[in-house]
Amino acid sequence: MADSAGAPPKWGSIEMLPLPARFNKAVRDLAAERFAATGAAWKDVVFARQYDLFSLADARAVEQAALDDGYRFDFSATVSLESEPDKYKQPERAASAYAEGPVSEGRRQVGVGDNVIRKSGSVTGPVALISTIEQVMSYLTDGIPAGTIAVIDDSGGTLTAPIIEGFAGVICLGGSVRSHLGILAREYDVPTLMNCKIDTLADGDVVEIEVTAAPPAADAYETGDTGHARIWKVEG
Amino acid sequence: MAEINYRSLLETNNYLRNLSDTTYWLCITRTVQESKLFPMNPYMLLSYLNTFYRLPTLLREIDAATPAEELGDRAREVSLKVDTVNAAWGMPAFYLIGREMLMNWGLLGPADAAQDVVDVLDFSRRFNLAYHRNDGHITNKEFGDRSQFLPERTLQVFESDLHGVTPGDRLHTAVTKLVAQLSQYAFLAHCECRIGLHNSGPYNFGDSRQLIVRDFFDLTEGDYPWLDGIATGLPVNNLTIPIVFSDTNFHLMDDWASFEAEPSYNAANIVAVGMYTSDALTDGYRPVGMTSKETLAETMEHYREVLNQATADLWKRIASWSREQMIDAGAIVYSSVAKDFAHLAGTYRQDDWFVLDDRVQRFKPLMNDEYGRDDLGEMVGLLGFPHQKASEYTMARYSALNQNMLTGIPYSVLTDADFAPTAGDQLSGSSSLPAKNGLWTTSAGRIDIEEYNRRAKEFTPSVLAGPFRYLDEEWVKRNYTSPRADDLYRLAQRGSQHLKDRGAGLRRADLPRTGQ
Repeated sequence: MADSAGAPPKWGSIEMLPLPARFNKAVRDLAAERFAATGAAWKDVVFARQYDLFSLADARAVEQAALDDGYRFDFSATVSLESEPDKYKQPERAASAYAEGPVSEGRRQVGVGDNVIRKSGSVTGPVALISTIEQVMSYLTDGIPAGTIAVIDDSGGTLTAPIIEGFAGVICLGGSVRSHLGILAREYDVPTLMNCKIDTLADGDVVEIEVTAAPPAADAYETGDTGHARIWKVEG
Repeated sequence: MAEINYRSLLETNNYLRNLSDTTYWLCITRTVQESKLFPMNPYMLLSYLNTFYRLPTLLREIDAATPAEELGDRAREVSLKVDTVNAAWGMPAFYLIGREMLMNWGLLGPADAAQDVVDVLDFSRRFNLAYHRNDGHITNKEFGDRSQFLPERTLQVFESDLHGVTPGDRLHTAVTKLVAQLSQYAFLAHCECRIGLHNSGPYNFGDSRQLIVRDFFDLTEGDYPWLDGIATGLPVNNLTIPIVFSDTNFHLMDDWASFEAEPSYNAANIVAVGMYTSDALTDGYRPVGMTSKETLAETMEHYREVLNQATADLWKRIASWSREQMIDAGAIVYSSVAKDFAHLAGTYRQDDWFVLDDRVQRFKPLMNDEYGRDDLGEMVGLLGFPHQKASEYTMARYSALNQNMLTGIPYSVLTDADFAPTAGDQLSGSSSLPAKNGLWTTSAGRIDIEEYNRRAKEFTPSVLAGPFRYLDEEWVKRNYTSPRADDLYRLAQRGSQHLKDRGAGLRRADLPRTGQ
């Protein structure tokens, strides 16, 4: 290790994604510099003096350098954005991921998704867009209006854990039929489309989800043969 | 500790490379897991580091008390949380992924901690060989994505005692709703991880039927501090629900204990069900509510009500947590996948498993949501860490690219000296979560941890006691008429309604027909 500390591996280059590339290189450079400064053998430093190589203060400095450069992080959990709003990009209204669908029988196609459980008929109802703890708490307290179809931008199973059974249907904007939410939809027998691409929807819009579609084949996420269940907005 | 020599390194690196290939396949067949509630990816990265620093020391103590192959024997007889996803795959994989992170940061060389790596993988291999003794493979992947560890004597009891159901009847509805509720609750109690759920099988039940065994672990007061006071209406901590399907081929049961079926899983195809519990203190599976179809339905309905309330109670508790508390909880859930080895060995201490090591705490400022997501994706999907690349002639399994997820130990450790063989055995850490104050829910009642450890140390299941431990089905094949074989089978038949004392000579045609 001593001979090669700081030298890049023979066949490697650098990470492909920007933040890992930035952070990891910063840690590597710092560790190499600190080790060189010890003048000791690697075996006597790697664990015995590990805080000399990298410390809590160093980690804070790596993060601060990115923030000082104006970098703001994507958030995934709402608690991250709420607890450290200055570090994260503010959520923007999602751009439409699906545009210009055909019109048929007073309905306009507003999206596609992957059906989890094949049903004998489509499901129609007003949508409710759910992405925060507060919304879930409100439904938990006040109940879910009958027939509501949830639009959830989270393929996990925990945000909506106490209320998922109460929905007439679910449109999930991420994940796959194998995601936790897909697994739970199957267990609860809640008509659900995963991996949906939709046009902009607002609370109360009435949609029809085509849960009569065949679920994706086992290799669909490798071949890209997905998105066969249609989502219609009932107009008028 | 295992000796480091050329032979042990060859075996270690072979095991590591198989794990690397399998883990890559598991990862690329899923999308990135994210959650709006939990900062999942940050806690996953921290959990891998926590595993790297702490697991070798904890495993050495466990191995000295109860050898890994004996722990594998235990896991082969009943449903324990040291199962496919937790112990067989997760424990070694998380340890090695933590090692990759440190190597990528230049804080570890591939030769460093060589003794730890050899010890962890030696333990893991011995456990897996014993766990999979009945099918003779070391992983589900090696067996063609199957998981058949239970012996005939246990499966015959299931086949005889499970209650038949048809869609729409009370028990069919009860089991469908309970399994859904258990799945939901298990994800929540495990901070969005899948490791509270486990599936195994399929087993051929004849007449175009297959059995899968569905397990749910850590359901109420026990190791997880956040379950103090939650679901206390449940008398047991683990539930096993064997389910028989008709006309459904479970063609995949992978090393994450997930299944795929053709046609896809459909509750309408369930034809028989049962319910059992087991833990470190049970002598075989213990039936739960199995005395009649009505009693089983009633029990399942009651448990479902308890868990429905528990889900709401726990969700409200978790929703009030800070980001750091959510991260600590999730990291601890992942890095404690081997904790039930300590329960089996009677060496369990809460602080061994439920803190983040001081050496890990220093990396927390790096763990924003974006870094967590992208560093994980880089490491296990893109394999984009510079050191994960191999020579330009290499074509790896599954990807055919010159890259591997996990890094072997260089054989130069046998001749070179400038590396540190272990991360050390002095453990200290902390957690931002409230301390655990409740008791542990076991098959011996709600007891404190000293009592739990004491009982565990003194306990050996009857089928693993001296006369029986090495009586496998190759032996049964030629000795099923012997009194020893009858005695062995009677141990599994003790709690059976229909097979009690029937002995070893039965074949499927001899089993009583009980309404299935």
